[in-house]
Amino acid sequence: MWALFTIVQPLIWLLIFGQLFKNMASLPGFPSGRYMDFFMPGAIIMTVLFGTSWSGVSLLREINFGTVEKMLVTPVSRIAIVMSRVIHAAVTVIFQCLIILIIALIFGVKVSGFSGALLSLVIVFLLSVGFSGISNGLAIWLKREEPLVVIGNMMTLPLMFFSSAMVPKSFMPEWIRVITMINPIDYAVEATRSFYSGVITSEAVLFQIVFLIIFALASVSWATEMFINQGE
Amino acid sequence: MIKTENLSKEYASGTKALENLSIHVEGGEIFGFLGPNGAGKSTTIKILTTLSHPSSGVAWVNGYNVITEPNKVRGSIGYVAQEAGVDYFLTGRENLVLQGRMYRMDKRAINSRVGELLELFELKDNADALVSTYSGGMRRKLDIATALIHNPRIIFLDEPTLGLDPHSRSSLWDYIRILNKELKVTIFLTTHYLDEADKLSNRIGILHKGSMKIVDTPEALKDSIKGDSVNFSLKGKVKEKAIAILKSNSIVKDILCEDEHVRVYVNNGSEAITGLIKLLTQHNIEVTSLSISRPTLDDVYLKYSGASFKEGDGGGDSNPWWAQWAKKGWGKNWKGGEESKEGGQEGQEEGKSEGGDWQKWAASNEQGASSGEQGAWSEEDKKSWWNPEQSEDESQNQAVRSEKTEDAADIVESSVISPDNEGNNGNKEEPWKKWQNSGNQDWQGGGEDWQKWANAGATVSTVPEADQLAVSSKQEADEKSEVRSQKTEDLETPAVVSQVDGIKAEEPWKKWDKGGSKV
Repeated sequence: MWALFTIVQPLIWLLIFGQLFKNMASLPGFPSGRYMDFFMPGAIIMTVLFGTSWSGVSLLREINFGTVEKMLVTPVSRIAIVMSRVIHAAVTVIFQCLIILIIALIFGVKVSGFSGALLSLVIVFLLSVGFSGISNGLAIWLKREEPLVVIGNMMTLPLMFFSSAMVPKSFMPEWIRVITMINPIDYAVEATRSFYSGVITSEAVLFQIVFLIIFALASVSWATEMFINQGE
Repeated sequence: MIKTENLSKEYASGTKALENLSIHVEGGEIFGFLGPNGAGKSTTIKILTTLSHPSSGVAWVNGYNVITEPNKVRGSIGYVAQEAGVDYFLTGRENLVLQGRMYRMDKRAINSRVGELLELFELKDNADALVSTYSGGMRRKLDIATALIHNPRIIFLDEPTLGLDPHSRSSLWDYIRILNKELKVTIFLTTHYLDEADKLSNRIGILHKGSMKIVDTPEALKDSIKGDSVNFSLKGKVKEKAIAILKSNSIVKDILCEDEHVRVYVNNGSEAITGLIKLLTQHNIEVTSLSISRPTLDDVYLKYSGASFKEGDGGGDSNPWWAQWAKKGWGKNWKGGEESKEGGQEGQEEGKSEGGDWQKWAASNEQGASSGEQGAWSEEDKKSWWNPEQSEDESQNQAVRSEKTEDAADIVESSVISPDNEGNNGNKEEPWKKWQNSGNQDWQGGGEDWQKWANAGATVSTVPEADQLAVSSKQEADEKSEVRSQKTEDLETPAVVSQVDGIKAEEPWKKWDKGGSKV
């Protein structure tokens, strides 16, 4: 039931944004195609963000229940504890994205190439790991639900706007374009977009994937560090 | 089994949780670890269970160093935290199996061990029901069972019977005894229930402010207190005579009197009793009733922790971090409610935005009332809730309390004086009204005045403390007049009041002051 809602939400985004920015596609300089097609990778990445950015909330609940402490007094490796949470979040999101992708295809969103669609799930995985790692680390650091949700919001929405998810880069002012260069969401959107447009191997895509791998690794190791020091 | 040497822990906030703590727990014993909230019990357990690192010092558990060999320590201990760490969305059996897998036990070993534990803790019938359907007692049992899955030699029980009904408590005690006697598990137990520590522990250590005050058997600890008390009720007014007679007896260590009851402290009550009665009857003093009481662990606890549980020293590192965080705000409120000055300032701020002195006053009173209530609440529950940073707060805590007692004295005082006051003014509330009126002329300015009032009130209310502390009355009088003159200088409005009120010039402030904390 709950899983259904998490899928419905991005579909609503797709619908609303698709309608809202419909006419943008006719502006000069906009990549060819409908806005819906342009926004599709954005919808997928949004699903990732909303699905993982608050995964720390459940960690807090478990900390309050005492289950985490109970885990920490066993010889279980700390990385394993973090990885279990992060991979759980990522796998859930992958399934959501898969369903959204299928529904979007049924409704006529253009995705050229089956392999590209599947490869985009790799991007989804990496970004999910990265963001749920950050959320889990933040949960231990902040120790309260409210600031975690606030920061989760602050993290996801602006980062979303600072990427080419909704607006092509050519439309952006210079300073936002600079921010996109360090924004993992932008890399994920760009990579997904090239997969959907049939470009699977290019230097740009390779660089984007490497960037996302580094992002995921850094976030997981930070979260692990937070776990190790959580008693202090 | 457990050994610590000069263990110290200082948190990043500068709070010293432990100072040179040295504990030695023998294999096979139940060690009762007592101390007020904030004494450092939970910090100690966290260090011993490798959840936290000491700032200095060494600790060994099962022969393994907690800092250099944490995984070996983890593999050899079981830990039952304050919060039942079982997963509500799994069944009892699943919880046990999960825990077993965390220790990398193989499936067969897990299954046989799970069967044993379900049997031991009588959870067999509910093994396959979700934990969310369990009662509190069953969750506790399951929690302890999961901690035993890997056959640890030591288990740490952090307030295991917290929140359980008496029946579940006593059955849990039985399990703890079985674990200790039959399975030879060493048990490190913290508790707030002194009877529990008394009944279960082989030895008890009392921790206070991060260091161990005393370690001994419950019996020896109780013996270290004055001894037994023998309580006599005597017929007729013969108390003085009886005391004189009893004092001459060498076995009597101390005598206390309450009305016609005489309480005599002796080493061994039951042995001394016949002799004492004989002695009294020889002098024609008739004993109407008689009782002996053993000192309880509470007496011991009070002696060594220097505080009752209620007082605590700020409470809380035994609380989970979220409670600590959440309660920091409460602590502040509570203090605010007690200190009229602070309350006044808050009230003033509120008043400024709302306008109208009367409103301001009402608001402050209301606020005072609500924070006063909170104060009462916190006072009672401080044990578990109130949590400022520990070391500094002991003194603050005491300060607030002394203010409180002094408040009580004030209330008595003002109630005595108020008829007098009424006589002067015809109306008790008049001083405020005057003050209100004058304040209304310029409510901004009035607000400031009003703050001064609050300050003045606070100053005045410290005077009785001086009284209590037996400062010479002259000096006190000086102080009082000084305060009063200062007020007269400072404020125009109070001058009116002091004229009306004459010698009781400070009354209205006090009343205002009390308005909050009395409610």
